[in-house]
Amino acid sequence: MSDNLNEQNKPKVIAIYGKGGIGKSSTASNVAAACADEGYKVMIIGCDPKSDSSITLLGGKRIPTILDLIRSGVDITEDDVVFEGYNGIKCVEVGGPEPGIGCAGRGIIVAIQKLKKISTVQDQCDLVIYDVPGDIVCGGFVAPIRKGLVSEAYVLTSGEYMPLYAANNICRGLSKINTPLSGVICNARNVSREDEIVRKFAEEIGSKLIAFIPKEQIVQDCERDGFSVMEKAPDSEIAQVYRKLACAIMSKDGSVMVKALEDERLRELTR
Amino acid sequence: MDKIKDDGQTKTKKEISIIHPRPSSIVAALYTLRDLNVDVAILHGPPGCSFKHARLLEEDGIHVVTTSLDENGFVFGGHDELVALLEKVSEMFDPKLIGVVGTCVSMIIGEELHDAVLEANPDVPVIEVEVHAGYRNNTKGVLLTLESALDSGIISENEFDRQKALLEEATMVEKRHGAASKEYLAPSRGDVKYKVAQRIIGLLKEGKRGITIMNAKKETGYMFADITVAVNEIAKQLGVETNIVNMANIDDTLGLPRVRHHAKCIKDDLEARGIVIHDNIGGLDEYPIAGNVAGKLIDEKYGDYDFAVITGVPHAVPMDSISGMEIISVTNGPRQVLPLKEMGHKYVIVEIDLHPKTLGVNHIVESEFGATLREVAKDE
Repeated sequence: MSDNLNEQNKPKVIAIYGKGGIGKSSTASNVAAACADEGYKVMIIGCDPKSDSSITLLGGKRIPTILDLIRSGVDITEDDVVFEGYNGIKCVEVGGPEPGIGCAGRGIIVAIQKLKKISTVQDQCDLVIYDVPGDIVCGGFVAPIRKGLVSEAYVLTSGEYMPLYAANNICRGLSKINTPLSGVICNARNVSREDEIVRKFAEEIGSKLIAFIPKEQIVQDCERDGFSVMEKAPDSEIAQVYRKLACAIMSKDGSVMVKALEDERLRELTR
Repeated sequence: MDKIKDDGQTKTKKEISIIHPRPSSIVAALYTLRDLNVDVAILHGPPGCSFKHARLLEEDGIHVVTTSLDENGFVFGGHDELVALLEKVSEMFDPKLIGVVGTCVSMIIGEELHDAVLEANPDVPVIEVEVHAGYRNNTKGVLLTLESALDSGIISENEFDRQKALLEEATMVEKRHGAASKEYLAPSRGDVKYKVAQRIIGLLKEGKRGITIMNAKKETGYMFADITVAVNEIAKQLGVETNIVNMANIDDTLGLPRVRHHAKCIKDDLEARGIVIHDNIGGLDEYPIAGNVAGKLIDEKYGDYDFAVITGVPHAVPMDSISGMEIISVTNGPRQVLPLKEMGHKYVIVEIDLHPKTLGVNHIVESEFGATLREVAKDE
């Protein structure tokens, strides 16, 4: 695959949204690793106050966050916040306040503005992934999109009712801010008719299912050791699924404006 | 600034923490928009934000309106309100240039000014300023406004660079000897004007030679210039007009359009009153650096003068050049009295509420100290 993609093109900048705990960070880090394996220059920007997006790309280690450094009042340079992880992937964590204190949303706004000011790494990449927190609870959480940084949004869900409900809400939010959706990803939880339900959901909102990631213990095992599947178990079947998803994301953009389903229709779909 | 070493990195120690409230970056943005000659400035935030200055700016001929975000706006956002207001002001005031200014609340909740401007799509340029009042230096509000004006092609790169350098110097001036020099400065009314007027008349009667230095910030010059006029009138009355040398920062070829206009108006008025400005020390926005120009001129030509009457931003005139003189300074900042006294100024006078009186005018406005001088001189 082309390793000079960036010579003609601006980087592909994506965000993966979905209900908290559904596997956004796992998916993001495995997609990042798969793309890096293909020779792309990749960056991942974790926007969750928990700052756990890049942990499996860094052998289980945590890196200093932008907001920690801003808080301490030091002058920040690129080297202070951009760290190299698996296969050259550039890792950044926004960080944030303790749960229940201050304003995490404002934190994201401030941190991504700071990053833009001190670093040009993003412009030199082929793929930049913003790993955003579960629900878009306030303005700050859509800042990467609103500030014109993100060009493509994906939504991750399982076939369970609540994650689908959250995904549907996110779609409503995206159309509210005039942002198209580039695809739905299913991170399976082994519930009945899962593939069918998520596929149908994707179609009815006007998008499409671009990957079905089966539930495999190996993902969890790798994470427990502090690694992505791509690094620790590259020959596994699920590694192949991530590779396919990575290809789908890097291939031509199929973004469309989506229309969220009515609550009643969503419930029917999952029955 | 103190630097501390830690983990091989150079870190900047925190600056002093000032505990008195001080000029707001939001207000600074509003004043800058005025200097850029916007017709309407929209505050995107709660109805009470920047109330007092918004009123003053209306005196100065621009419309200041607010989206009046309430608790609902804080919770649900105010995008629609901003779009509606942009549409409304376009109709009501037929503006040629609009400014939209953020506030603390709209910035915290992540409002996008640009989205609303795109949606309302007025057919005139809009300067969007994402600003809140949480900056250490209020000059940040000016800078953010100028950056946005540069982006929309309202000002040139050269003017932007010039303004930026001036702002940095202005911040330094305040930190060295101004209202940002101490963690708390009690406001003071300074010395009694009657006594200081008597002193100046006394000096003139003794045949002492004096310098007037007007180093004013923008429109405040309309009133500070009156003190230059009054001193010259008294000198003339006493037959010692040649003992006075005048300096003023009234170069009308420098600065944003409105600032140049003020310089021109003040210059014309001074001329009409027969006041000769021997040395023009810069533009009306050059108060952070014009003091140095004055200092140099004194070193070269007026080192042996006996007294100086310095108005506007007196703390920007370097003490080295004037330490041998008796210094009378006039400020409009009640928190500026103590720092000026500490610098070695013998008399410090405050023109209370000067700024409101210099908005919306085109001519020199009588100052309290000027009036006092004239009144006291009647008895001579």
